Amino acid sequence: MEEDQGLFADRPEWADVVPIEQYEGAPPIAPIFYTPEYKDATNYFRGIIKTGEKSPRVLDLTENVIRQNPAHYSAWQYRYKTLIALNAPLDAELELMDELAVTYLKTYQVWHYRRLLVQQTNNPEPELAFIANALQSDAKNYHTWSYRQWILAHFNDDALWRGELAFVEHMLDSDLRNNSAWHHRFFVVFQSGVREGDEDRDVVLRRELTVVKTKIAIAPSNASAWNYLRGMLDHSKTPYSTLRSFVAPYSVPHPEQHEAPLEMLWTLRIPSHHQGLNYHASQQLNSWRISMKPPVEMI
Amino acid sequence: MSMDSPRRSPDDHHPTDTSELQLEIESILLKHLPLDPDSLPPLQRQQHLQYLVRNLVQGFPSRYISQDASQAWLLYWTLQSFGVLGVVLDPGNKQRAIDKILAWQHPEGGFGGGPGQAAHLLTTYASVSALAIVGRPGAGGGWDQIDREKLYAFFMSLKQPDGSFLVTHHAEVDVRGMYCLLVVAYLLNLLTPELLQGTPGFIASCQTYEGGFSSASQPYYTAVAEGWGTLLEDIRPSLGEAHGGYTFCALASWVMIQPYLEVSQSRSTTAATTTPTTTRGNPSIDYKRLLRWLVQMQGSETELGGFKGRTNKLVDGCYSWWVGGCFALLASLGVGGHAHDAGNQEHTADGNGEWDDDTDESVWDKAALQKYILCAAQHPAAGLRDKPPKGADAYHTLYCLAGLSAAQHTVRPLPARRAEIDQAWCETLGSSHQQLRRVAFADALAWSEEEGLSHVLGGSVNRVNATHPVFNLTTTHTQGIMSYFYKQTVPRRT
Ligand SMILES: [Zn+2]
Repeated sequence: MEEDQGLFADRPEWADVVPIEQYEGAPPIAPIFYTPEYKDATNYFRGIIKTGEKSPRVLDLTENVIRQNPAHYSAWQYRYKTLIALNAPLDAELELMDELAVTYLKTYQVWHYRRLLVQQTNNPEPELAFIANALQSDAKNYHTWSYRQWILAHFNDDALWRGELAFVEHMLDSDLRNNSAWHHRFFVVFQSGVREGDEDRDVVLRRELTVVKTKIAIAPSNASAWNYLRGMLDHSKTPYSTLRSFVAPYSVPHPEQHEAPLEMLWTLRIPSHHQGLNYHASQQLNSWRISMKPPVEMI
Repeated sequence: MSMDSPRRSPDDHHPTDTSELQLEIESILLKHLPLDPDSLPPLQRQQHLQYLVRNLVQGFPSRYISQDASQAWLLYWTLQSFGVLGVVLDPGNKQRAIDKILAWQHPEGGFGGGPGQAAHLLTTYASVSALAIVGRPGAGGGWDQIDREKLYAFFMSLKQPDGSFLVTHHAEVDVRGMYCLLVVAYLLNLLTPELLQGTPGFIASCQTYEGGFSSASQPYYTAVAEGWGTLLEDIRPSLGEAHGGYTFCALASWVMIQPYLEVSQSRSTTAATTTPTTTRGNPSIDYKRLLRWLVQMQGSETELGGFKGRTNKLVDGCYSWWVGGCFALLASLGVGGHAHDAGNQEHTADGNGEWDDDTDESVWDKAALQKYILCAAQHPAAGLRDKPPKGADAYHTLYCLAGLSAAQHTVRPLPARRAEIDQAWCETLGSSHQQLRRVAFADALAWSEEEGLSHVLGGSVNRVNATHPVFNLTTTHTQGIMSYFYKQTVPRRT
C-alpha cells in the first residue's frame, strides 16, 4: 500500500530517472491546474515511458498516478505491461483491484483491467460475488453489469450460470424498475445459449411470461417490464395478439382508432402520463406505426 | 394548455429506489418550469462564451485532473461549442491550439489524451476534430503534420475478428471507439474495405431487445488459452443494456458504413452468378424498434422534455445530443417521417427519399427539448449542465448546445446536393479505393441545413449554428478538412 512518501522528486531511489515536463516552451492553451503531487508523478511517469523501464518501482509509480486519476488509461496500460513483464503475483494485484474498483466504480479502466487479470488467472469463480457486492452501492453501473455478462459468456461455465436467475430475481426484488437487471435477465434467459433444465423453450417462455406479467401487475407503469415483454415476444416470434386479454385492462383508448392494433399497446399508455408536451410526439409515433407494414404479429 | 401542474410519473403505489429518485428529480425540475409558457429564459450566449473563453485562456480548475487523459476532449468540446455558437477563434489562439494538439500525436500513430500518453481512438477523434476546426494545410497548420500512414496502421492494429475495435492496446472494445475511428477515417480519407470488414455485423449485434444499442457484444463463448474461440454466427449477446451514448455511436457508424455496404453489394451483383444473394450475412438493424426506444427516451412535461439515456433512468442534458441527434441519422436512412416505410432497408443515405415539408410532423418533440435546455440545462452563472442543481462542465456545455442545434434545425442529405458533389469528383492518381471514397465523400457532404425548416424556440436571439449530424462539426469545417484530404473541389452551394 502506498504510504505518503512525498514527491518522487524528493525520493533518492528515483534520483536516476529524468522527469519529463508535459509541454515544452510557452504554457499551452487551456491548461489544467495540476496539483504539485500530480505534476510530479506524471513527470516521472513520462520519464519512465521514455526509457521503457519495467520494474517493481513502476508498479508504485503507476499506482500513485492511478489513485490521483483513475481514468489515466496509459498508466493502466503501462502497469499491465509491467506486471506481465515482471511475472508479478496476480493475486496481490487482484486484491489491490478489489479496493480500487469499489473506489473508482465509474471508470472504464478498473473494469477492463480486471478482465485482463482474470483472463490471466483463469479463475472467474470469486468474481460473481465481488460484482454482486459492487452492485449494492451502484445497482445500475453499466461497466459492472457488462463485466458480469462478460464473465458468464467468456468462461461459459455451468457452475457460474447456475445461480444467475436467482441473482436477477434478487436484484428485481429490491427494485423492479432496475432496467440493468431486466437486461441481464434477457441476456441470461434468451441470449446465451441453452443450459441444462432449460431445453424445453416453451416451458421457459411460459415461465418468463408469468414472471413479467406478475411484475407488470405490481407496477403497471414500469417501462422496463413492458420492454422485456415485447423483447421476449419478438425473440420467440410469439404473436402479440396472444396477450390481448392480459394487455387490454392496461391500455387506454386511442383517440383516432377504437380498435388499435395490439402492437401499439405500450405506446398507447404513453399519452396517459405524457399528456401535453409529448402527446403530439406519441401521436406521430402512432401514426407512423400504423403505416408500418402489416401484419405486425409476424415480426 | 392549462396552467395545471403537469402530471408526475406514477409510482403505482409501489415505490422503489428508481421511482423515489425520479420523483425527487421531478420536484427539482418542476421549479424550472416557466410560469408563463410564452416567456422562456433566453440562451445566455454571453455567459456561455465567457465560460468557454475562461477555460481556454485561463485554464481548467484542478478538479479537471480527472480529465488529464482527455485533454483532447476538453479542447474539442470547447472549440466545437464555439462553432455551435458561431464564434471563430483569433489566429494566435488557433495556433496555440494546433501546437498543443500536435504534442499529443504518438510516434507510432494516433493521438493520445496528452503528451506522452498512449494513442487511443477517442482522443484521436477529439484531436482530429479539433484540428478540423482550428487547423489548416501547410507548415505548422496541423493537417499536414498528421501521420496518416501510421494512423491507419494503428487503426488496423486494433481491429478484432468480429469487426470491432479495441479503443487502445490492452483495452476494451466498445462502439464509441468504432464511431471515433470511422469519423477520423472519413475526415482524413482513410477508408478501405479491409478496415470496415465485419464492422456492419458488429454494429448489428449491439442492438438490444429494447431497440437501442449497448457498448459492445460478446463474439464467442468458450474461453481459449490463446486468441479467439469460434466466432458466433447468430447470437452475439450485447454486453450492457440499451444506452443513449452507445446508440448514437452505433447508429452514426451504421450511417457511415452505408457506402461500404453499397459498394461491396454492387460489386457482388456485378460478379453476379446464378446463385441469388442470401439475406444471411447481410447484417441489418431493426429501425422500428430503435425508433420506438428513441421516442421513449424523451421525458414528459414534468421532465421538461429532456432526454434520458436508458429506460427508467433520469433525464440528462448530454442526451439532448446523443439521443436527440439520432433522429436526423435515422431520417437519413428513411425512417421517422410518418409517411415512410421503415421496413425498406435498401434506402440509404444517398437515396431519393421523400420528405415531409413540415418538421412539426417529427416523431420527437423538438420544442420540448429546447425548453429543457433553456430552462433546466443552463447553469444560472454560466455554462451548461446535466440537470439542476449540478454545476456546468465542458462536456455538458457542448452536448447541450449541440442538442439545442439538433432541436432547432433540420439537417439532412439532399439528393440534389449529393449529385452535384458526385459529378464534380476528380479521380486522383495513385489513390486506391476510389469508388468507396467517392461515395463516402459525397454522402458526407450532401448533408445540408434546410433554412426554411428551423424552429427556434424563444426567437432568433436563441439561434445556434447547425452541426453535422454524423460528425458534430459545422458543415463548413467538415467540408474544409474533407475537400483537402480527398483533394477535391466542392461546388458552391447554389
Ligand atoms: Zn450527462
